[in-house]
Amino acid sequence: MSLSLDSLLHARTGPMTGELLQQPADFGLGRLPVRLHPAATATTVCGYCSTGCGLQVHLGADGAALNLGADPAYPVNLGMACPKGWEALTPLAASDRATVPLLRDATSGRLAPVSWPQALAAFVARFKGIQQKHGPHAIAFLSTGQIVTEEMALLGALFKFGMGGLHCDSNTRQCMATSHVAYKQSFGFDAPPFTYADLEESDALVFIGANPCIAHPILWQRVQMNRRSPAIIVIDPRVTETAQAATLHLTPHPKSDLTLLYGLAHLLIARGRVDRAFAAAHTTGFEEFAAFVRDFTPARVSATTGIEEAGLLRLADILTQRERVSFWWTMGVNQSHEATRTAQAIINLALLTGQIGRPGTGANSITGQCNAMGSRLFGNATSLLGGYDFAVASHRAQVARTLGLPAGCIPEETGYAYDEILDAVERGEIRGLWVIATNPAHSWIHQRRVREIFGRLDFLVVQDMYTTTETARLADLVLPAAGWGEKEGVLINSERRIGLTRKVARPPGQALSDFAIFQLVAEAWGCGELFRGWSSPAAVFQLLKELSRGQPCDFTGIRDYEHLEAEGGIQWPCTEAPAGIGGGGEVRIDAARQPAIGRVAPSSGTHRRLFADGRFFHPDGRARFLFDPPRPLPEPADQSYPFLLLTGRGSSAQWHTGSRTDKSAVLRKLAPTVPTVEIHPDDATRLALVPGARVTVRSRRGTATAFVVVTATVARGQLFMPMHFPDVNRLTFPAFDPHSRQPAYKACAVTIEPDGEPGRDGAAPA
Amino acid sequence: MVASRENFPLLAELLAEQQRLDTPVARFSTTVDRTLPAAPGTRHASLLPLSRPGPGEQYAFEVDLDACSGCKSCVAACHSLNGLDEAETWREVGLLLSPDAGHPFAQTVTAACHHCAEPACLHGCPVLAYEKDPITGIVRHLDDQCIGCSYCILKCPYDVPKYSARLGIVRKCDLCHGRLAAGEAPACAQACPTQAIRIVTVPAGGAADGGRFLPAAPDPGYTRPTTRYLSRRGLPPNLVAADAATLRVQPAHWPLVVLLTAFPAAVGCSLAAALRSGGTVVGTEDVKLAAVVFGAAGLAASGFHLGQPRRAWRIFLGWRRSWLSREALLCGGWFGLAVAALVFPAITLVAAAVGLAGLACSAMIYVDTRRHFWRAGQTFPRFFGTAALVAAGLLVPWAAALILIALLAWEHRTRAPDDVSARLQRGPLRRLVAVRTGLGLAGAVLLAIGPGPGTLAVVLAAELAGRLLYFRAVDAPKMPGLPTA
Repeated sequence: MSLSLDSLLHARTGPMTGELLQQPADFGLGRLPVRLHPAATATTVCGYCSTGCGLQVHLGADGAALNLGADPAYPVNLGMACPKGWEALTPLAASDRATVPLLRDATSGRLAPVSWPQALAAFVARFKGIQQKHGPHAIAFLSTGQIVTEEMALLGALFKFGMGGLHCDSNTRQCMATSHVAYKQSFGFDAPPFTYADLEESDALVFIGANPCIAHPILWQRVQMNRRSPAIIVIDPRVTETAQAATLHLTPHPKSDLTLLYGLAHLLIARGRVDRAFAAAHTTGFEEFAAFVRDFTPARVSATTGIEEAGLLRLADILTQRERVSFWWTMGVNQSHEATRTAQAIINLALLTGQIGRPGTGANSITGQCNAMGSRLFGNATSLLGGYDFAVASHRAQVARTLGLPAGCIPEETGYAYDEILDAVERGEIRGLWVIATNPAHSWIHQRRVREIFGRLDFLVVQDMYTTTETARLADLVLPAAGWGEKEGVLINSERRIGLTRKVARPPGQALSDFAIFQLVAEAWGCGELFRGWSSPAAVFQLLKELSRGQPCDFTGIRDYEHLEAEGGIQWPCTEAPAGIGGGGEVRIDAARQPAIGRVAPSSGTHRRLFADGRFFHPDGRARFLFDPPRPLPEPADQSYPFLLLTGRGSSAQWHTGSRTDKSAVLRKLAPTVPTVEIHPDDATRLALVPGARVTVRSRRGTATAFVVVTATVARGQLFMPMHFPDVNRLTFPAFDPHSRQPAYKACAVTIEPDGEPGRDGAAPA
Repeated sequence: MVASRENFPLLAELLAEQQRLDTPVARFSTTVDRTLPAAPGTRHASLLPLSRPGPGEQYAFEVDLDACSGCKSCVAACHSLNGLDEAETWREVGLLLSPDAGHPFAQTVTAACHHCAEPACLHGCPVLAYEKDPITGIVRHLDDQCIGCSYCILKCPYDVPKYSARLGIVRKCDLCHGRLAAGEAPACAQACPTQAIRIVTVPAGGAADGGRFLPAAPDPGYTRPTTRYLSRRGLPPNLVAADAATLRVQPAHWPLVVLLTAFPAAVGCSLAAALRSGGTVVGTEDVKLAAVVFGAAGLAASGFHLGQPRRAWRIFLGWRRSWLSREALLCGGWFGLAVAALVFPAITLVAAAVGLAGLACSAMIYVDTRRHFWRAGQTFPRFFGTAALVAAGLLVPWAAALILIALLAWEHRTRAPDDVSARLQRGPLRRLVAVRTGLGLAGAVLLAIGPGPGTLAVVLAAELAGRLLYFRAVDAPKMPGLPTA
């Protein structure tokens, strides 16, 4: 009786309780709510950042994704993911997906739905019309590091070999162009030498302009797995999360890092830390470099960087004493007015100390986007497909032969870089622009000018998952694209690992993969014959293998997608021949891949690094010491604009312009939803700014409204704003590295002033 | 050139292919072997205590602040692995900042339910939908028992229980008790790349003072949260939540605004009827009828407040500890008596007394949340003020005018200090304050010059505005949050 009364009074079970009830879900997944139990699982590589994590997608009975988790067996992330990865499926279901092509109606001025044939007809008619009137090079494309390699290659080939275009670039210009150029000049090929296991194998890790805690949380996880009690040195003007966890943090004045790095070289040379045998056998230019840095005395470096001499000496001590030193850089280096030389100054440190080619060493660029390296190798923009040179006849012949193309269709010159394309639009030289999976009307530097320039175009095509990006709203034609998770292909991560991403969801409406769209454009354009062999991503993968043959990035040893799947991704080089080029070799794979826990580092079988034999990719096999005198900041703070504005990633839950991450209600909870500006307490006090106050940040180019966060993690005289809000790039100063043409987002001069109705914040009356 | 779909067979083929999930890649890359074991240690038993809690112990979250890098995966993984609704999160993150120039410091803080030793949610629940497991100490919520009154949301100082509009109930973190029982780590702990979250056994008493809990978090003395925040490198002094300065206007809870205006008014009518010796402005029977009408309006409104009104019959269950149960019992009792008093005048006084007791329970519901703005010194005068105002309005209108002026003056005292409610009332709620004050003054004037047909409407409108302000201007405590506007 009492039992039944209790069950009447206390509903301990029922439909709502059952909704969350967990049962063992099989597939080694542990317990999950019953309605989320999968019928199968599949591994796919994440499509956000270049870490390249393996995600384990839980599939329903119809083969479509129900949910996902992090893959415990994938050698990159070992069962972990950042919030973007956990929420990777959510943006696919957003309500603002592009589902049909949209064409701007001439009379109403509005974007209206059209059929695919109408859209393709407009694409061809308008772009061919522009070419007939203004020449074949009056059309251009801006692409992305976010689509699969096979798509990048088809786009680049279609545009340059089929459509007669020349000028094209991708948003990897905004993140990785510097590393690309720096490696190419120093090593002879764009070849990041490291493997993630190096994070676990180092005795000292030097992070320069990098905040992996926030930007690459899974790489920070790998740092935490280091069992060698490493010294962690962070060089960053801000006290970032990574800096707080460091054993030594140096805060140079923004963009004085080149001087700092030359100063370090000076100290290491002065202390005899030079690996003379290595420098003599494997490098050129050391003596010139040593002579060059002779003037970079601690006193001079301290005066320029604002770092006390003691700090410099301590860092030099660490680099002298520790056996394995690795250097890691990201956007703080790449997005600078002298970025390439700064990256090379890091490379020089590794070269002169011989800290390369061994476990736990290297001058290592952590990439930004999931397929930045795919874009660098196969985008067909700066380099000819496969890392070749457009200007070299034998290279063109080689590529034409491999692809079965007439050699004459390959242009003999490299086209404009991103900023030069925009300049050409401004001059009226380029009249038609095709933007694929990127959002320059938010992300490019100095926005007001970008908007003006886009207004000068005769025809703007935007191919994207969403109709609502800042750029899609400006388009004359929107082509609806399938996104990550809705298509197949490979991504190449920071450690050169080629990983497979696969279809686990159906895109809405008539959205098509970028690959399919490029195929349709080829047919509509009338050059489909050239690409008959490019019938599917899997077929193109085989073409790309052949293109890589004999190149440093040779991956002819990878059989096919199934091989990649079985091995959890494979790093290049992976040659058919046992002895590969440039320190490569055959792949050795562990029989049992390592689990995430008890935190055992994967053995070297799944991880390989370059240059173990000291042979670099220049014809003479030697790496180059490259250097230039530091140059002053293009726009320093002054009387009128007394603050230096730094920009960067706001949180690990936000990705670039937010076109995907803003679609997740969970991710929106993990970062401020309004633009914030961080200011030092002393500056805030001086300007009477309280936390949460609304302010206007003003540069010579524009203004942005933001809310104040008072924190000493930014230095006096500096401000920090996360880059994910469209207002921020109204402020930034359009300076570019002369070698990489990468924009210098990280520093410009601004003012900050209160903005808001008095009393609105409820402050006590004075 | 392209014209139509007919001469463009490739398009149809590609559109069909795009929708096909059974691709060659799918065939080799899909795992259908259900029996696949978990990779060794995958479910992270190393993040769990070796044994179940002994007597005087319970499970608790332990957060290593030094290890937390601020990636926030815990929130997303909890959401994903527990199958929560699109915008529902049981774990949240905030940021602690040092205001001092000498301490450049920012610390991400992750928090879910603290499975308190003295769970305020549990003590407040009128239907006993919360249970604290006697062995594990996990504070569990019975989803099929919950009536969706949201009182636990007001009671919890950490803003943990979350209302689901889809289900009409509250849900919250259950420390993944099912996973724990099976030797698996909770979702958040499984997903932390730096193993900053683990489950430990702790003395069942919970944290007693701020020094043992977390800076800038609400006073742990109230509910004794059990989560342990550790930092070997030490936290700088004076830490503030990044959202400390943010003024959050609180939900209006319109049904409660109506209830807490109508019910005191009804009790006022009841009281006036009982005290009719002073000579009522209108007839006693009409006043009693008005009491019933107001009471019915209030009860109807309260039904709209519940997400699951059909389960509300269990509301008496919590009478031993929940002021909400007590209110429901006494209000219900009063209503019956008030109806009966229409027929049996002898019980008019009893009805008034029960009504006043019910009103006291109403006030205690809010006082018991320990929110400063809802302290007894403000809540009792407001609730009983409405009753007194209505009673006096019916008996001696000039006294009602004085009561109203006194109420306005008393409420105005909450607008001067530099606390959250004062800043809310001077800032985003200043228009509502003006409406409340304007209507109140108008009502006082009308009462003073002799009540007319519109007087009751103006006075009730003034009280409604006052009650709306009571809800919107409350200082709702929570764990440290992220910077907000």
